[in-house]
Amino acid sequence: QGIAALHKTMTFHLHLTGQVQGVGFRPFVWQLARSMKLKGSVSNGADGVHIYVNADLETARVLARRVQAEAPTLARIQSVGITEADPIDFSDFTIVESQASGLASLLLTPDLALCDACRAEMDDPANRRFGYAFTTCTHCGPRYSILHQLPYDRPATTMAPFGMCADCEQEYHDPSNRRFYSQTNSCPNCPVELSLFLGSGRLLSQDQSEIIRQSIDALTAGKTVAVKGIGGFLLLCDATNADAIHQLRERKHRPSKPLAVLYPSVNQLRQDCDLADDELALLTSSAAPIILLNNRVTPLSGLAVDQLAPGLNQLGVLLPYAPLLALLADAFGKPLVATSGNSSGSPICYTNEQALAQLPAVADLLLAHNRDIVVPQDDSVMRLSPTYRQPIVLRRSRGLAPTFMPTGFTHPNVNVLALGASLKSTFAWQLRGNTYVSQYLGDLESYDTQTNFRATLDHFLALFDATPDAVLADRHEGYFSTQLAHELAAIWRVPLVSIQHHEAHLAAVLAENELLGQVEPVLGIIWDGTGYGTDGQIWGGEFITYEDGDFQRIGHFDYFDALLGDKMPREPRLSALSLAFDIPSADELLRPKFTEKEWNLYTKVGVRNKLKTSSVGRLFDGVAALLGLADTVSYEGEAALLLENCATRYVRTNGYTIAQSYLPETLSTNRISTKTILAGVVRDILAGYPIDRIAAAFHYTLVQVVAAVAQRTGVRQLAFSGGVFQNGLLVDWLRHELEPAHQLYFHQQLSPNDECISFGQIAHYSLSTTN
Amino acid sequence: MPKLDFDIITLGHGSGGILTNKLLEAGVFDLLSNPLLDTHHDGALLNLTGRVAFTTDSYVISPVFFPGGNIGELAVNGTVNDLAMCGAIPKYLSLGFILEEGLTMAEFWDILVSIKGASERAGVQIVTGDTKVVERGKGDKIFINTSGIGELHPRADISIKNVRAGDKVIVSGNIATHGMAIMSVREGLEFETTLTSDTAPLNHAVLALLDEFGNDIHLLRDPTRGGVATVLNEIARDRNVGATRLGIDLKQAAIPVLDEVAGACELLGLDPLYVANEGVFLAIVAPEAADAFVRKLRTLDYGHSAAIIGEVVTEHPGQVVLTSRIGGRRVVNMLVGEQLPRIC
Ligand SMILES: [Fe+3]
Ligand SMILES: [Mg+2]
Ligand SMILES: [Zn+2]
Ligand SMILES: [Zn+2]
Repeated sequence: QGIAALHKTMTFHLHLTGQVQGVGFRPFVWQLARSMKLKGSVSNGADGVHIYVNADLETARVLARRVQAEAPTLARIQSVGITEADPIDFSDFTIVESQASGLASLLLTPDLALCDACRAEMDDPANRRFGYAFTTCTHCGPRYSILHQLPYDRPATTMAPFGMCADCEQEYHDPSNRRFYSQTNSCPNCPVELSLFLGSGRLLSQDQSEIIRQSIDALTAGKTVAVKGIGGFLLLCDATNADAIHQLRERKHRPSKPLAVLYPSVNQLRQDCDLADDELALLTSSAAPIILLNNRVTPLSGLAVDQLAPGLNQLGVLLPYAPLLALLADAFGKPLVATSGNSSGSPICYTNEQALAQLPAVADLLLAHNRDIVVPQDDSVMRLSPTYRQPIVLRRSRGLAPTFMPTGFTHPNVNVLALGASLKSTFAWQLRGNTYVSQYLGDLESYDTQTNFRATLDHFLALFDATPDAVLADRHEGYFSTQLAHELAAIWRVPLVSIQHHEAHLAAVLAENELLGQVEPVLGIIWDGTGYGTDGQIWGGEFITYEDGDFQRIGHFDYFDALLGDKMPREPRLSALSLAFDIPSADELLRPKFTEKEWNLYTKVGVRNKLKTSSVGRLFDGVAALLGLADTVSYEGEAALLLENCATRYVRTNGYTIAQSYLPETLSTNRISTKTILAGVVRDILAGYPIDRIAAAFHYTLVQVVAAVAQRTGVRQLAFSGGVFQNGLLVDWLRHELEPAHQLYFHQQLSPNDECISFGQIAHYSLSTTN
Repeated sequence: MPKLDFDIITLGHGSGGILTNKLLEAGVFDLLSNPLLDTHHDGALLNLTGRVAFTTDSYVISPVFFPGGNIGELAVNGTVNDLAMCGAIPKYLSLGFILEEGLTMAEFWDILVSIKGASERAGVQIVTGDTKVVERGKGDKIFINTSGIGELHPRADISIKNVRAGDKVIVSGNIATHGMAIMSVREGLEFETTLTSDTAPLNHAVLALLDEFGNDIHLLRDPTRGGVATVLNEIARDRNVGATRLGIDLKQAAIPVLDEVAGACELLGLDPLYVANEGVFLAIVAPEAADAFVRKLRTLDYGHSAAIIGEVVTEHPGQVVLTSRIGGRRVVNMLVGEQLPRIC
């Protein structure tokens, strides 16, 4: 191109894709273009943001560069295309209303936590939004949860029924205002309205100050209030009132699973928990997840720690991410329990009708409002590993889902839908070059969860108006997700591809770390509770190598009996029995865990049992039970958490110094002897060693196992996936021991638990379609 | 037991020769004697009118003798009940034995006596039969096949097509008792209380209900192998074909299970909904008749624990959904092969 062409004024079209809607993007472009004295337009489409400018090519390029460099913090630009367009003579630069142009191919902006500026306005008596429970701006507020269709614009959201008052309208059109083109804009003059109900369904009040007052009175009196938040209803009660918590647990049928605590402010949170800067950054991020923190032994607020997280040193905490929660937390002035509004095992209630029908069983008062939720979501949960401060996602939902941008993974030519596993269900889409991983959708054993899974999937299908070229599923034919995959594949007449569970785990962590395409082999250490193996057994302690696009299971923990079906994960004592039964000295530890009758039965059942498992999850269970930490559990992973807790206590005082491993340092095979490990644990228990020390030695043993297998295989790169790696201590100990000789890879944006399976299925499938 | 010059079944007893004759003449015919059988024809000539139901079933159960019964009465009750489930009045049975060499005559006699007792209780006649003997190791003591014929009850209109939304699902008695009784002996599992099978003929109760409720009874099934869960899944699936797709809702709290059976299931991690039953039937009944149906059933033999356990619904077509005691809803699936643990 000649110089002349570069400087000829023409009309250029800039097409931006990525997370570019609902983040103040058009106002930003408007400001930028105006500052550059450009004429043209900017609009939202279902396929991204479109900018038209009258400029020469060089200026258009400058604009594109600056758009990328200066974009709002919450925007994530994937691509910017510049093409010459049919000439239009613009007289001005304007924001044009949305056009439903192109196929939907947009990243969906997650819900954004209340921003500081909005919070300040709410707290300012002179501001017109003082105390307004639905204060939002272009930097904050609900997005994904209120979206009916693309592109993101008010009429496509549940804000559609609300008209803006003159003041709001003026803000909306004022380029210098934070609410310029804010789709969720409202104020006390054009408000989203609150309603307070009794459990009976009787309307108590629609007056905000009255509602807050009555809610606070109820909380003070030890009652439970259900509040409609962003992703659904939350149950609140006084976190310093042991009786109130006990009552909530009874009503929710949730005997011991930890409950999250909502703090009015960071300062109050610091009174009860250690808070490091990285944790504070996560808590106050736009995702505003629940973060697990070490809590003080004697919290200053009078927090009823023993009722909140029985047997644990860590507490899940969160800050008010929605204005209504901020108002309540402030007015109450003390920490509040904040847990999903559902009865145990069911999905979170998210419509007023559902809440009125279901929640009176758990809540005394219901605080609803008339801004509908389209997509229900639980709160996301994260933790940081104790030493290396590695973020670990425990649940990926509100604020994080469904947008997913794995840096190295693109698979533009294939549209596939993957339906994941079962207990921590998610689905994932590879669509028009983008990857989406749904929010955590819960345990598919529950009918209501199945219904919600389908509804969320249908919502996606409608948003993107797409059908996939293939449907991916787990090999376990009994999973609801697998059955649904069969059904959908038949309806769409596309192939169904089954992918082995642990290979999917490995593919997920590989893809997240840009390792799928590289040459050097990787050793996958995939440890979890249950996955269906290609030999018909229950896998869960796997070593799988990845090389040249091939997966090979090169080793695993020795099989032991999988006893009594789903009863085994609920009763760690059964894992102890299965693992330690023929260690003679274990008898005196095992016997007291069972009645005479149970003992007689179970020892016989074991003999006839054909189903075997290599599950490290069950190994944790067995060790925890032998140590007397948990014979039965009421939530998944409870025994492993208790064991990690003990080991962490040991390491906190002693460092990673324990020399004792329950296995020899070098192995003669890649089959790990669970029996030898158990024999060592039993020996130490009988020798009277402290529980914390044995728990630490067990963790160290697992680290040694990885080291030994890595040494035997001679592979330098190690990738970790599976629910076991939610264990922060184990992660750190592995890094402490194995770095820098080895390169360790963990999940980044996804959880190591089965939430990552759907994406792993897509990553796995991409290998067969690109080769 | 008659005096015989053998006390063990041998291959010769199935040869059709003298030994077979000895066995039949001395034992079976006398014991099961009735005018039709006594003719000793190659087949039985039957007097039947109207619509006729015909069914067959083979019985292979280990152990052959179990608490509360043995394979003999099971073979009679099973086929009688299958006829009753069609809305038929059971009349005649055929009886085929496959005996394993080495079965003692004493055991065989006990089984025969049970067969006689069961057929009397059920009011059916055994009118034709057959006996074969297989080599040791080629059978499991004894296999029995029975076929049965019955006349349709004049008021019966039993068909999956009659099932509609709102119908009540009724179970005639405590579930899972038989299966757990069998398991307790087969697996050598000694439960605290000895469970006994509830094998029983259900035809009298069913016919009395048909007398009174006629075509308000839309469907009858006996949930034997695979238990209540499997049968209800079959119903939901089959009722899925056609214009209106239907599902079934169950209420866990309403399902009658003996405490010791529930305890044994819990102990073994089993779901009573999947455990086999004998002497229990499921009825799908028009809602307006359901309460009276249960009241009546409770006054009849083997029906005193009858209960409405659920309802046919338009929601979740093809699926059976159980509402637990604490309110959670769980899909009661068809078993896929062996029972695999699901939890990760
Ligand atoms: Fe897994
Ligand atoms: Mg039968
Ligand atoms: Zn804001
Ligand atoms: Zn307004």
